[in-house]
Amino acid sequence: MQIGIDLGSRKAKFALLDGERIVRLADHDTVTFYKRYGRLAGDELELDLAASGIFSADELAGAAVVVTGYGRNTLSLKGAKVISEIRAHVAGALLQTGLRDFTLLDMGGQDTKVALVRSGKLADFVMNDKCAASSGRYLENMAAILELSLDELSSHWENPVKLDATCGIFGESELIGQILRGHPVERLCAGVNQTLVTRVMPMLKRFASETIVLTGGVARNRGVVRLLEEKTGLAVIVPEHPQHNGAIGCAHMETGS
Amino acid sequence: MHRVGFTTTVPLEVVIAAGKIPVDMNNVFITSPRSHQLIEEAEVDGFPRSTCGWIKGMYAAILEKGIKELIAVTEGDCSNTRALMEVLSLKGVETVPFAYPHDRQPESIRFEIEKLMRHFGVGWDAVNLSRERLGRIRRKVREIDRLTWEENRVTGAENHYYQVCTSDMNSDPDRFEADVDTFIAEARARSPFKDKLRLAYIGVPPIFDDLYQFTESLGARVVFNETQRQFAMPYDTQDMVEQYRAYTYPYDIFHRLSDILLELERRKVDAVIHYVQSFCFRQIEDMIVRQKVPLPILTLEGDKPTPLDARTKIRIEGFLEMLAG
Repeated sequence: MQIGIDLGSRKAKFALLDGERIVRLADHDTVTFYKRYGRLAGDELELDLAASGIFSADELAGAAVVVTGYGRNTLSLKGAKVISEIRAHVAGALLQTGLRDFTLLDMGGQDTKVALVRSGKLADFVMNDKCAASSGRYLENMAAILELSLDELSSHWENPVKLDATCGIFGESELIGQILRGHPVERLCAGVNQTLVTRVMPMLKRFASETIVLTGGVARNRGVVRLLEEKTGLAVIVPEHPQHNGAIGCAHMETGS
Repeated sequence: MHRVGFTTTVPLEVVIAAGKIPVDMNNVFITSPRSHQLIEEAEVDGFPRSTCGWIKGMYAAILEKGIKELIAVTEGDCSNTRALMEVLSLKGVETVPFAYPHDRQPESIRFEIEKLMRHFGVGWDAVNLSRERLGRIRRKVREIDRLTWEENRVTGAENHYYQVCTSDMNSDPDRFEADVDTFIAEARARSPFKDKLRLAYIGVPPIFDDLYQFTESLGARVVFNETQRQFAMPYDTQDMVEQYRAYTYPYDIFHRLSDILLELERRKVDAVIHYVQSFCFRQIEDMIVRQKVPLPILTLEGDKPTPLDARTKIRIEGFLEMLAG
């Protein structure tokens, strides 16, 4: 048995694998999880996995634990191996899709990563640096402005209203301006989804493949998937568990893949 | 003695021949324990947030150190220097413009050097004498560079330090030469490093202070510091004009690339870190670097003088893991 943990900026994701078989997946709000089960020992973070109840005592005792995530540089988990996010996500995408040549687009809470995978190996990657405007957090903010659920926001892609702000926060006032102009909510939602696709295009263009594998929480946004297909003209594959891809990848790393 | 500040490497021979103390304002800014505050002070004075941290840091450092005369490079380096020069002239700093002409023609370069000589009231004899003296120190620094890549006895950070200091010889050539001698003796006695990965660092010197140490903690050592090596004038040239013509940093990217490609091969480099400064025109050249350099490249962007942030560390770790396979 192997346990994989992906500590993202919004969600902490957990995966239990038996070989290549996914036994269990779970997630918690990151901040809540840290508050309840995390503590700082010196400069390092320690997690009380036993108290969280995600895994049984037997599973924790018997499984190898691999962890990744933004907290990596300040993360210490007793008995756990820490790997880089890019490695975890590529491993997850390889296992989940069975593909060997693709461009991985992982859109998470704050991070957007694009990785080129050739013959099952990471060939190159790029990651957003100073700005998180093309991330799940941006979608959450915009859904709040529109007073809609993320699910509702995610279901529109037709005839998008143009939004140009380069900043996710200034984007809020721009969206309010477009609401005032009386655009229908469907077009506003499509516009928000379109913004994300536009922002990742330069990164995607750098790593061209015939197939894009889309992972991370944003992959659950059907509007983004549809607009991404339209804009790139490529097949966009969303694996069965896009949000848990990193955690699955961590667990799978332990099998020696 | 009178101090003369400057904004990037300029013909140091002229300043030394004039009996002035040379001060590279980049080095003053970046080594100041107040480097972060210096940027804030420049912003309080009205410098835009979206301007390079080096320009802001130099501005505040010039005022803090009471520099009264400044050689400002107006062509071949950062075009923001022109505005920096204008703002400083309002503050009572005498500014002396110097250009690295884009055409790289010997007569254009000679004209610029002679203009600088006229300003400082020195002739070719005196300048050539200081060229010989500085050349001796530069050759020693070249030996430090050789010990870095050929004998693997010098770290990336040490290589960076000694080469970057040649722009003003730490304002005291004799003392700097003695430091260099001591260091060479110490480095020669070391056992060679056995790092797995050999990196090149290209682009302007990093505004981060722990980049070299961090990559080395992950088993990868920088064996080529492109721009810093240029500051140390690494070629044997017949005269000053040729020396500043061979110098790659202020000219076009293709002239720089011919030097980079040669050194990547000679030094058996595995991968390249291309550092770009936020809001710098050289960020655009990353497109060309990526097309022309046949090795894996990680582009890092820095803004203010800080240790590496967590996100940049994640990117470096991912890159080095990818190289390790």
